[in-house]
Amino acid sequence: MSETNRIGVFLCHCGGNISDNVDLDKIEEKLSENEEICSIKHHENLCSLEGRNIIKDQILRENLDKVVISACSKITHGATFQKYIQPLNPYLFEMPNVREQCSWVTEDKDKSTKKALSLINSAIETVKYNEPLKKIPTKVKNSVLVIGAGISGITTANSLAKQGMEVTLIEKRPAVGGAMIQVGKVFTPDKMSEDCAACLLNPVIDEMVHNDKITLLTNTVLERSSRNAGNFDVILRKKPDYIDPEKCTSCGKCTQACPSFAPDEWNEGLNNRKAVYKPFPQAVPSTYTLDDDFCIKCGACINVCPTNAINLDAIDEIISLTVGAVVIATGHQRFDTNKRPEYGHPFYEDVLSQMQLARLMGINGPTNGHLQVPSTGKVPRRVVMIQCVGSRDQMPDGHKYCSKVCCMVALKNANLIHSHYPDTEVIICYTDIRTPGVYEKYYKYVQDNGIQLIRGRPGEIAREDDHLIVRIEDTLTHNKQEIPTDLVVLSAALESSQGTIDAAKTLGVPLTEDKFIKEKHPKMQPVSTDIEGIFVCGTAQGPKDITDSIIQANTASTKISELINGGLEVEPHIASINVKKCVLCGKCVDNCRYQALSIYQNSIRVGPIACTGCGDCIITCPQEAISIQGQSDERLEASIKGILKDKDDDEQIIIAFLDDIGNVSANNMGINRVECPSSIRIINVPFINRVKYKHIKYALTHGADGVFLGEYPDSYKHDEIRENVQVMKKHLQEDGINPERLIIHSVFIPYFRGLASQFKEFDDVLATLSS
Amino acid sequence: MVDVDKFIPTENITLFRSCLVSAEYPGVEASTKFVFDKLGVEYVIDRNQSCCTGLGHYYDIFDELSTTALAARNFSYAIRNNHKQYVPMCATCYAILKTSAKILNEKDDVREEINKAFRENGLEEFQYNKGDIDPRDDITHVVDVLYYLKDKIPEFKKRDISNLTIATHHGCHYCKVHYNDTLCGYRNPEIIDKICEVMEAPALQWYDHKPRHCGSGFRQRYANRELSLDATVDKFESLHKEKVDVLLVMCPNCQLQFDRYEQVLEDMTGDKHYFAVMNIAQLVALYMGADPYKVLGIQTHTVNVEPLLDKLGIEYDSTEDTLHVRNE
Amino acid sequence: MDYGCVILKKLGRREMTNESEDDLAHKILKDIKAPSDLGLLRCVQCGLCTSMCPASRHSEYDAREIIKRVLDNDESIIEDEIIWNCFYCYTCHSVCPVGNSVCEVNQILRQMAIDKDVGKKQIESFMSFADSFLEEGLGIIPKEYHGQLKIDYGKHWENLQENLQEVREELGLDSMFLLPEAKESVDKTLDAIGFKKRVDSIKEVRNRK
Repeated sequence: MSETNRIGVFLCHCGGNISDNVDLDKIEEKLSENEEICSIKHHENLCSLEGRNIIKDQILRENLDKVVISACSKITHGATFQKYIQPLNPYLFEMPNVREQCSWVTEDKDKSTKKALSLINSAIETVKYNEPLKKIPTKVKNSVLVIGAGISGITTANSLAKQGMEVTLIEKRPAVGGAMIQVGKVFTPDKMSEDCAACLLNPVIDEMVHNDKITLLTNTVLERSSRNAGNFDVILRKKPDYIDPEKCTSCGKCTQACPSFAPDEWNEGLNNRKAVYKPFPQAVPSTYTLDDDFCIKCGACINVCPTNAINLDAIDEIISLTVGAVVIATGHQRFDTNKRPEYGHPFYEDVLSQMQLARLMGINGPTNGHLQVPSTGKVPRRVVMIQCVGSRDQMPDGHKYCSKVCCMVALKNANLIHSHYPDTEVIICYTDIRTPGVYEKYYKYVQDNGIQLIRGRPGEIAREDDHLIVRIEDTLTHNKQEIPTDLVVLSAALESSQGTIDAAKTLGVPLTEDKFIKEKHPKMQPVSTDIEGIFVCGTAQGPKDITDSIIQANTASTKISELINGGLEVEPHIASINVKKCVLCGKCVDNCRYQALSIYQNSIRVGPIACTGCGDCIITCPQEAISIQGQSDERLEASIKGILKDKDDDEQIIIAFLDDIGNVSANNMGINRVECPSSIRIINVPFINRVKYKHIKYALTHGADGVFLGEYPDSYKHDEIRENVQVMKKHLQEDGINPERLIIHSVFIPYFRGLASQFKEFDDVLATLSS
Repeated sequence: MVDVDKFIPTENITLFRSCLVSAEYPGVEASTKFVFDKLGVEYVIDRNQSCCTGLGHYYDIFDELSTTALAARNFSYAIRNNHKQYVPMCATCYAILKTSAKILNEKDDVREEINKAFRENGLEEFQYNKGDIDPRDDITHVVDVLYYLKDKIPEFKKRDISNLTIATHHGCHYCKVHYNDTLCGYRNPEIIDKICEVMEAPALQWYDHKPRHCGSGFRQRYANRELSLDATVDKFESLHKEKVDVLLVMCPNCQLQFDRYEQVLEDMTGDKHYFAVMNIAQLVALYMGADPYKVLGIQTHTVNVEPLLDKLGIEYDSTEDTLHVRNE
Repeated sequence: MDYGCVILKKLGRREMTNESEDDLAHKILKDIKAPSDLGLLRCVQCGLCTSMCPASRHSEYDAREIIKRVLDNDESIIEDEIIWNCFYCYTCHSVCPVGNSVCEVNQILRQMAIDKDVGKKQIESFMSFADSFLEEGLGIIPKEYHGQLKIDYGKHWENLQENLQEVREELGLDSMFLLPEAKESVDKTLDAIGFKKRVDSIKEVRNRK
């Protein structure tokens, strides 16, 4: 607060919107008693160019250093007046909202005038504490870490690189391509055809490989990450390069020599591979790799390697990197069908998953694309597919959600079988077929091709002689039956991958209840996470198909481009740490859900991009070392003090602290001319937790009859806020103040009428309390 | 001890009696006591405890309120007796006691109705306070305890039982009623299998109808005999196919269905293959050297267990069995 | 020519007033036996219950159909003999993807049937169990069925029944019976909670044709 203030007050008539219901002359008369006010001016429309001239003229003529503009809401014209007060710093003014929150909601002109005066007084007291601030220009590093090199990760990497960013693309497995490269065929509903997945994916992979701005690291995982201002300091761990990629010529002699076998992940365990191997013929990178879980270190491969590329003593590589943004594209895994033993997957080799079937049908699969019953090697006479294995299932280990793609996958594989083996009968057992949009046409097409559909969820699979039995009720015909079949194929749910859960943990990104990466706002802010600078795309976010994954991947790259290329300027209302008081306990760092705070070189560092200025850290700090720039505790107290300044003895005043949503809701009351008790005085705070007990106590002991807290209950802090209020009520009781004078309600933008009636109700309660 | 996510007691136990164990297979009680004593488990049998009502409950004779009131009465004795860890030998007792405790804890109106009935009839000491019994932690089955202490079982090995083909049948009312409290799975229940493993006598990993029921169906066995036996045949035939030597159960009702009816089922299906039916506690007792007649009580089994003992090379004196009608 | 009316007669009508909660499904949900999270109204008729259900496998009973009729508010199901086919094995209960339990719904339906004569008749042949419980606090195999059991189980079982006390003594087991004062308090409890009245009313059905 500056020693002396030269404050100018400007009163806007708003073409009668204010002046018809507020006696501005009376207000001017009252204000002129205040010595700190050097200038008071009226105008029909202060937002006009003429208004601009008046404001500017007064500032220069009267040498004003702070300005109060009594007009409409800050949302409507805050930015306008920020410009109009030049050459003053744009943060050295306040705008009491005497239109939406006063003249439009108060019928009685006397009451309206009194309320307007109290709002203006509050602004005058508040503005004294305003400091000159500057928007903070931010710059984050022009580099991005993409975790996971499936279709989503590769697509994001390509897009980011094309926009000029340096990309590090890491992949846990030895080859890129994820689930898409494994699945063999993908279908295109418009063409009613099944296309070669590798043929569609290879150009995308090529583009990635040949882009100099992308560094691909396979066999690599994210090990640690810490936030450093806007950037992320990350540590990567790359498995040992037992086979030097520079020297390996992919001749394959090592594989021939290797005596040790392991289940082949590429073929979903349908066959074995060697411990030294190439994941699949078209693998990128094309070098051979060594699986140290199965290697017996016999050295047979070393002896046959013509280029001396193998070194069994190679060690892990630790890579440290600083990036401006991170993309989680860690994909999914499939539900463990052992959890549904009644379907026999653990016991009968002729029970397959859809992915195993895809491998069996894949030209680079274990049977070179020939569909064979594993136990007999013959073409199946019948194939029964079971949908919703682990999906839409609330039992333990199941997933309540629909996995979204399984209906299409089953139809695709059914149609593939039908077109290659017309004598093989295919039956799909389903609960609901979910094929939204044009996929419905594909469903009908497949059905017309003769694929049979039975509506019912099978109970169990049994082995009988040379075949399997599926026990099911056709719920449409009420026919309980046992279906003999050669193959059973389970459509297992898509679930969050271990890689996704690990990445979330390392990066501190919250997960949804289904363990996928949680988006900041699933409707309005897709691909953004709660942590500014970390984005998600593909099945790491939830079950989806290839096209949706690509769309998300491109969205993520656009959002990153905004961040990195946009040269952001952020509002200066961010946390600021008093280094003299701070003891580096780290409580604020742990509490901040935006990861805006970090400990750096023995001080707490605030990331301006990440910090939203919510002020939640303030109450966590035992040293009271944190404040929000331009929004000090003293300033908030001054706002209260101003409101209560000219209070009459018989007047009832309620101070309503509303968060941003509540404030908009209150404005809507005005726009819709909903009557609001004249006792209500609104103070807009960024977050309800920002209001401390001392503020509430100050208000209630300095003339306020009640304090109303309006909270938008979307925050994960909701429960904590409610508990805090209970605690504060207890304190009030201890301090001899009736705790009923404090109340908290939820607020929502469309429910402004509800807010008005809550105000009214509270107003009535307080009236009876005082009488 | 095995790492499990529910509390398993080894002391303060009320070994809760089962009507069918008492009257049909008393050797199950003797075997359980034998094994518990070896393993150092501290328990009492309290003759104040009534039956759980289970059979009558599922014959639909008992209404939920009466069953729950009797449970409250029983609970009050166990609490006063400082042995509130209920360990029943029967799957139905296990489920009934858990359901009663849940209702008493969760349904305030029911608890109050029962307490009021107690108060108005001079039975104040039976009143139940919310939370007196934790349905998850205070009610566990004998197999839970055996599983928890399974690594100690081999310390008391007296006999080799490793050459048996074993199938396990898990009680539905252990596995499926309170499935969140079931250890080692309920879709493919394996808790008995895990106990067998430590005795080096692994059970079949799977057989058709493994998780299905025994077929008794409470009223069905008596009032709907044909339906009951048709259902039992499913499992019976599957067990024949697997050529098992012994079917292990954990509930006397299942034991009754397979043991008492084995001859009837053979006649029905024309399918003949001997297998014995035993409670897992009986097998563990046998492994620990218990006497087949004086502890296992095999004379109470309809299907002779002696051929199984022959296979294991265990000596016995068949004259101790005075119940079976010998052909000679 | 009045086609419309003929067709309309067959249509059900959902009134615009607040959905009444006195239909069969809601009665079941409010029953003492219904767990608070019973998924009855979430049933999508997927048929998983039926395809795992032993009663459905071996009789006309269809687990899914039981729920369908309940949701259709078809009260005739209470009097339908088919509900007496459930084995109470809880398999449906343990696998239902929406947390429903046909098994528990059946138990409630049977209790509703017992409120009428039709249900009492189904269980009156088990009443020796109730008598035993009132006398001894012990469950027994109902005496009414001993005839068939003696055929099925053979002479061995009769020997066992006759010599049970000695067999138990050989096994070193204590008396299976409750202490006298415990028997008394079981009897008092069952009187206080209304079970005796229930037993009498079930037995009365024997006197009605």
